[in-house]
Amino acid sequence: MVAGALRLAAWTRSLAGASLFFQSQGFNLSAPLAEPSHFTTLESVLLIAGILVSAGLFFWRFGPILKTILRSRKDPGFSLQPIGHRVWDFFWEVLCQGKVIQQRPLPGLAHAFVFWGFLAFALVSLNHLALGFGIGFLPPASLIGSFYFLFAAAWALLVAISIAGLFVRRFFVRPVWLGQKVSYESGVIAFLIFLLMVSYLAAFFVDAGSAAAKSLWWTHTLTLLAFLPLIPHTKHLHLVLSPVTVFLKNSGFSQIPPLSGDEDFGLVAGKDVTRLVSLQTYSCVECGRCTEHCPAATTGKVLNPKEIILGLRSYLNEFGPASDTPLLSESRISSPDNPPEKYLSMEAAFECTTCGSCEFQCPVGIQHVPVIVGLRRGATNTGAWEDNYGTKLFLALEKNGNALGLSATERDKFIQKQAFPIFDGSQEYCLWLGCMGGYDPKGREIIADFARVMQHLGTSFGVLKKEKCTGDPARRLGNDLVFQTLAESGLKAFETAKVQKIVAICPHCVRTIATDWREFGIAPEIEHHSEFMARYKDKLPKQSGESIVYHDPCYLGRYQDVYEEPRAVVAQAGTLVEAPRSHERSFCCGAGGGLAFLGEEKGERVSHVRAKELAGTGAQIVGTACPFCNTMFRDALTAVSEAPPQLLDIAQLTARALPASQPKSESLPPISGGVQ
Amino acid sequence: MKIVVAIKQVPERDAPVHVAADGKWIDEGDLNYTINEPDAYALEEALQLKEKNGTGEVVVVCAGPERVQSTLREALAKGADRAIHIEIDDLGSRDTLGIAQILADAIKAESPDLILTGLQSDDLGLGQTGVVLAELLGIPHATIIMQVEATGSGLKVKRELEDGWFQHVEMPLPALLTIQSGGNKLRYATLMGIKKAKTKELKTVPAAASSGAPSIALERVYLPEKQKKTEMLTGSPAEVAAKIVEKLKFEVRVL
Repeated sequence: MVAGALRLAAWTRSLAGASLFFQSQGFNLSAPLAEPSHFTTLESVLLIAGILVSAGLFFWRFGPILKTILRSRKDPGFSLQPIGHRVWDFFWEVLCQGKVIQQRPLPGLAHAFVFWGFLAFALVSLNHLALGFGIGFLPPASLIGSFYFLFAAAWALLVAISIAGLFVRRFFVRPVWLGQKVSYESGVIAFLIFLLMVSYLAAFFVDAGSAAAKSLWWTHTLTLLAFLPLIPHTKHLHLVLSPVTVFLKNSGFSQIPPLSGDEDFGLVAGKDVTRLVSLQTYSCVECGRCTEHCPAATTGKVLNPKEIILGLRSYLNEFGPASDTPLLSESRISSPDNPPEKYLSMEAAFECTTCGSCEFQCPVGIQHVPVIVGLRRGATNTGAWEDNYGTKLFLALEKNGNALGLSATERDKFIQKQAFPIFDGSQEYCLWLGCMGGYDPKGREIIADFARVMQHLGTSFGVLKKEKCTGDPARRLGNDLVFQTLAESGLKAFETAKVQKIVAICPHCVRTIATDWREFGIAPEIEHHSEFMARYKDKLPKQSGESIVYHDPCYLGRYQDVYEEPRAVVAQAGTLVEAPRSHERSFCCGAGGGLAFLGEEKGERVSHVRAKELAGTGAQIVGTACPFCNTMFRDALTAVSEAPPQLLDIAQLTARALPASQPKSESLPPISGGVQ
Repeated sequence: MKIVVAIKQVPERDAPVHVAADGKWIDEGDLNYTINEPDAYALEEALQLKEKNGTGEVVVVCAGPERVQSTLREALAKGADRAIHIEIDDLGSRDTLGIAQILADAIKAESPDLILTGLQSDDLGLGQTGVVLAELLGIPHATIIMQVEATGSGLKVKRELEDGWFQHVEMPLPALLTIQSGGNKLRYATLMGIKKAKTKELKTVPAAASSGAPSIALERVYLPEKQKKTEMLTGSPAEVAAKIVEKLKFEVRVL
């Protein structure tokens, strides 16, 4: 917000600079914009015909698109309330172009100038067309007129420079994210925008009522009329749709909508595509930011989030929103030459780590993760997805109630060994172990150390006697049956034990309990151990010396907006080092979306890419705040580095400086299993 | 092909099992029940045979109290077409023959082409029900089956023998097979399956009255007892040595 305000201030200054430039070049400020004097009836008739043809061509394409969107299924559970965040998102993402600029500063700023220029031009264009009917309402000689036309002229200059820059970027720099195919239509559009600006600016240099003024007027008008029908035929449809999309997008990050009725299994066919998804697919501006940040797409997998959206769009164009034709191409005749068929495939859908980078990056309000999870739901809930690892995971969750497929008695033994008290209502916190904390050797070390931190702080806690997985991997892999069963059993367990406050070491557990379970009931208040420890950071031992690079887990950062708390804990335990990609731009470890349990067979390993980046910072320790990230890096760091940095969770970073009063974690029994 | 799968509901693998007060059976109060594992593989084999065939019907049969209906519903959710619940509250009072009789009674009316069942149950592990059932129905059977292949008129099956040996058998239909765990990959239950299962038929039939007292009864159920036994051998060294050799040979059987 502050950054946005600063930028606003910056462009105001540059605007002032631009008018100074006009003055210093001897540009006569008092020379008004030259308007054509008189229009013949023929000209007015031609103008009306032009407007009608242009608008007709616009609606010829825009009409069917609007119809497709409106004929799509209604979004279950959609509500305009709370409207506050919608207004804010609209203000920040559309009006301020906050996200556009923040995530790609240079092209983003150029885009913002074009956008703001368009806004400034709205009044100018309206007056321009009105002139053709002799009803111009903004006389250039008037005070307001002379000011406004100059104001617009400054914008025209900025727009012309920006669009020229964007043209050079698209056709000469050619960033890979814009796609292999050069979009010539974008070139035409850029040229038209440039022409609009030039034909406007030129009118300052000719005499009012002259033939030159008339021809400039017509040039400007025809360009405008040619521009309009191009909008719905190209990705420039985002001009019309994206402000609506940003305003209407579902509240909450990666919000997975509830299933409605007995026939809803997720995105199986066109008939399951909702209005919001439909609107979002038509809003895509094909900028490729989603792909640029996608851990699957950038490591050689089939998945490409942009192509998923475009694949959906071409599906809707071909089959319509009421179709029964399956969305995923395994179920229809696939053609290798048709990219959308390739990307809208079962394989692609199940390569997503649900890290949410695509959704976070998208400047036009597309929410990719619910779409991808929706496709998975359609495949898993109907049994169409067949995968050995996936089936093994679901059966383990059904039978054992934990993702690692170990006997529940293993958890009992661990609790006994650690002498964790059972939660009986007298303790302040219920310490949630999770699958990793309860069954995985490394996860157990983290839990044991966090328990020591709690003891050190004098906070009372207990663990549930029986605990099952939150259902996170089932949820993200689209198995609603297993997810619902686990969510309901978990809610009941908390209710029976009368739990008020929960703390957990796993961001996936926290997110799933706090947000995803809401469909079935309200869970007690839950927080991540980073939030808990940050609250007591002054009571944590201050350590100095070692450099620690902190890795933002997707489910803690982007999903829950927790960035500073774990850093506060890390700063207490050593010197905080930032990774090249951090905070909202953090790169996934590869474990999310149930992928920790599936095979990653194509391309480079996501975990290796990230481990290389973390090790490359030269930090002595890699600090994590998620047991899944931890387990992924455990193997990856040794694979990518000769002398790998130490790998510790923030709880371990803290606990290692505590006086050793409790039994150390070496006494843990060796167990078989663990995340593969 | 019409396939009947006879399944049993057993306590969950991790269930904390306690012996009941009367020492005749386990305490069923706090237990969670699930499908017997080899029966899950029998069901999977039936579903795959039907899928390969393109046509056919899979009927699941289970004897027990009302709780077994949850296991039957799960089987329907995984893809079985119909379910028959043979209602009997005191399953434990019947011996293998008695159980096979009530199953035979219910299955006879279906006159299936093939009957599948797990090779043994996770709780009692007797491994006889399938064999006796085949005998009662007067049809051929094969046990410990890893693979089933339908030929034109009958079946080709792969039996597991000991020591890594397998036996391939061809047999006519109708027949009964007892299925070994692990031959196939089990499928996961789906939301669509559960919803479809609600509309499928689950018929409850009474168990046939027993034809007399069971010929085998469970005497006592107990946890393995650890015991130490010391026996003093007396005599001359030669006699003692001879006794030791004899004991090692015939009692401990290590020689």
